[in-house]
Amino acid sequence: MKKKGIITVAALLSISLLAGCGSNDSNNSNAGASGDSGASGTASASSGTSGGGSTTLKVWFMGTSDSVEPIAKMYEEKNPGVKVDVQAIPWDAAHDKLLTAVASKEGPDVIQMGTTWIPEFAEAGALLDLAPYIEKDPALKADNFFDGAIQTTQFNGVTVGIPWYVETRALFYRSDLLADVGYPEGPKTWDELKDAAEKLVAKGGKGHYAVNIDAKDQNYLSMFAWQAGSDIIDSNRQPLFNKPEYVEAMNYLNSFYKEKLVPVGSELDTFAAFKDGTLPMFISGPWMIQGVKEKDPEIEGKWTIKTLPANKNNKSLMGGSDLSIFKYSKHPEEAAKFISFMSGMDAQLKYYETSNSLPALKEAWNDSRFTSDPLISAFGEQLKVAVPTPMIAEWEEVSQASVASFEQITIGGADVQSEMDKLNGKIAGILSK
Amino acid sequence: MKELARGWSKYKYPYMFIAPVIILLTVFSVVPIIVALIISFTDMDLIGLADYSHIKGVGFSNYIDLFKDPVFLKSIYNTAIYVVIGVPLVVILSMAIALLLNYGTGWLFKTFRLVYYLPSITNIVAVAVVWGYLYNSNYGLFNYVLSWFGIPEQQWLLDPSLAKVSLILLALWKALGLNMIIFLAALQGIPRDYYEAAELDGATGWKKLRYITVPLLGFATFFVTITTLIGWIQFFEEPFVMTKGGPLNATMSMALFIYNNGFQLNNFGYAASGSFVLFIIIIIATIVQFAVRKKEVEY
Repeated sequence: MKKKGIITVAALLSISLLAGCGSNDSNNSNAGASGDSGASGTASASSGTSGGGSTTLKVWFMGTSDSVEPIAKMYEEKNPGVKVDVQAIPWDAAHDKLLTAVASKEGPDVIQMGTTWIPEFAEAGALLDLAPYIEKDPALKADNFFDGAIQTTQFNGVTVGIPWYVETRALFYRSDLLADVGYPEGPKTWDELKDAAEKLVAKGGKGHYAVNIDAKDQNYLSMFAWQAGSDIIDSNRQPLFNKPEYVEAMNYLNSFYKEKLVPVGSELDTFAAFKDGTLPMFISGPWMIQGVKEKDPEIEGKWTIKTLPANKNNKSLMGGSDLSIFKYSKHPEEAAKFISFMSGMDAQLKYYETSNSLPALKEAWNDSRFTSDPLISAFGEQLKVAVPTPMIAEWEEVSQASVASFEQITIGGADVQSEMDKLNGKIAGILSK
Repeated sequence: MKELARGWSKYKYPYMFIAPVIILLTVFSVVPIIVALIISFTDMDLIGLADYSHIKGVGFSNYIDLFKDPVFLKSIYNTAIYVVIGVPLVVILSMAIALLLNYGTGWLFKTFRLVYYLPSITNIVAVAVVWGYLYNSNYGLFNYVLSWFGIPEQQWLLDPSLAKVSLILLALWKALGLNMIIFLAALQGIPRDYYEAAELDGATGWKKLRYITVPLLGFATFFVTITTLIGWIQFFEEPFVMTKGGPLNATMSMALFIYNNGFQLNNFGYAASGSFVLFIIIIIATIVQFAVRKKEVEY
């Protein structure tokens, strides 16, 4: 990493310069394809081509391209003259890549935004206000989607995205092992979860845990805070980390560490531990369903999924992705049309087929493949009470601070209330900047 | 002016030969360093990146905040530990391995050259996966081996004080190969005559090592020390792939701190000032090395 710290930061700028140079010709070719074709068409009297033309729509997706390409093909078939250029970006590299796109003001037309990234990029003005398109197109109306998903598309009252897929967290549990300790249908409340956990570990003995706590993930902490009735940041941008509700949630989670009911760190292989019963419960998202089915065929029928245990409520995290139009797109009209298709019934069902991602479109959930599968419908149930993380641009910084504080409590042994007071002060500082 | 023109026509070809390097260095090293210096005095963030008119100069406040930031101070402390423990170990061990491998030329020695060199050409991500399993406290090989001797399980990467040691061990394993090759090459450059002369005078193996081999490896040692020192001051990959700086920032290095602030939190100005502090530390360390080196005897 020789001088990389310096170089990488500065490289952003140099890249923006380079990309700036490169952008000229792609602008021209795009303009030549759509805008200019009308003008040149009339001039050369070959007006036949001016109506259709051929537009290339650049689309950035995270993940693997084979999940999106079939849907892009569907769109191309329905809309002759439009070519959809799908570029798949690995999730790990996506944030850096989006930064460079913002720096160079040159990027795709349609962009998949992880819901937690919306505030930071919206604040930077990189995402187009979609209100005029929603006005025109009933398929983009907010009522069509889960409430929590719609909340992720808003920043300072402006709609900058359309929900694309959703995910939430629910409780995976071994029904056979839970039945042994008296909870055949899984724990329904916090008290039951704690009681079941204690019994499971007492019964299992050394090397047995009850449930995972992903302490590196603020989302995990947020869910328990919401369930305790806490909000995280109020509408006046004041942090609520040292209020009784939030502290209650941290105390509850910390008690699992104190009694050694959870594995420390993320060193346990979830699939293996779920199979051999050393981790009979875990909280995770829909992407784990396929993995458990494939890697743990031995326990088929002995595990299932339910909504999270409730305290005051059983709220969970609303995650997933939205589709946005990049501010510097040359084809916002076509981009909006493409997004409308992507959020429609056909594309949503197809995307579930190719990627197992859950549809954001409520209507899609009436399809038999969601209603007949108890594993999926548990997530459908959970989605109704799922809420997104606070839509503020500083969220990443806030959540890192909060995760660090939780580490101080569980590993460093700090007192919960005083650590939360400290954290609240720190976050108030971040938010008032 | 005339002088200059004459100088140019006289040295035209040498200038042209070094031009590619000069241009590359300027574009990819000198200019970025200057840009970073400028950025370090601003509050540049993502909004500033999207619209340069939002960037404001903030004077030295980034630097002042930096030295008030407990995480940054911790990262300096951690980096110092990495350097103080890691660098001498790398130099001594890679020299020792090179000396041992230099005793023979059979297939066994050649195989071991390869064995020691392999870690330095292995992709860090693959290394992270394998070492992650070795260090895993539930399934890891290390804890399994310890269990033979009745030693309790260790939290290799989760215990704040042990995690640093674990990362140093990994980095050491990765760094030995390349430096060993440098020492091997230098060893082969030592003329046999010196040893023969010493043998005639009755020098034993240990004395030959002490008075001929080690002094004549002086330049190689200097080179290895300086590159290793610079590399370890910029300790980044190992904590980045293994621990992300945790637990409790116990493995946070300066370079990782800069990365986190720049690319996770979008505080480019703050990150740039951090990288400048790192830059200055490296310059100072290098100057000190050169100063010490001058006092040494040349052969």
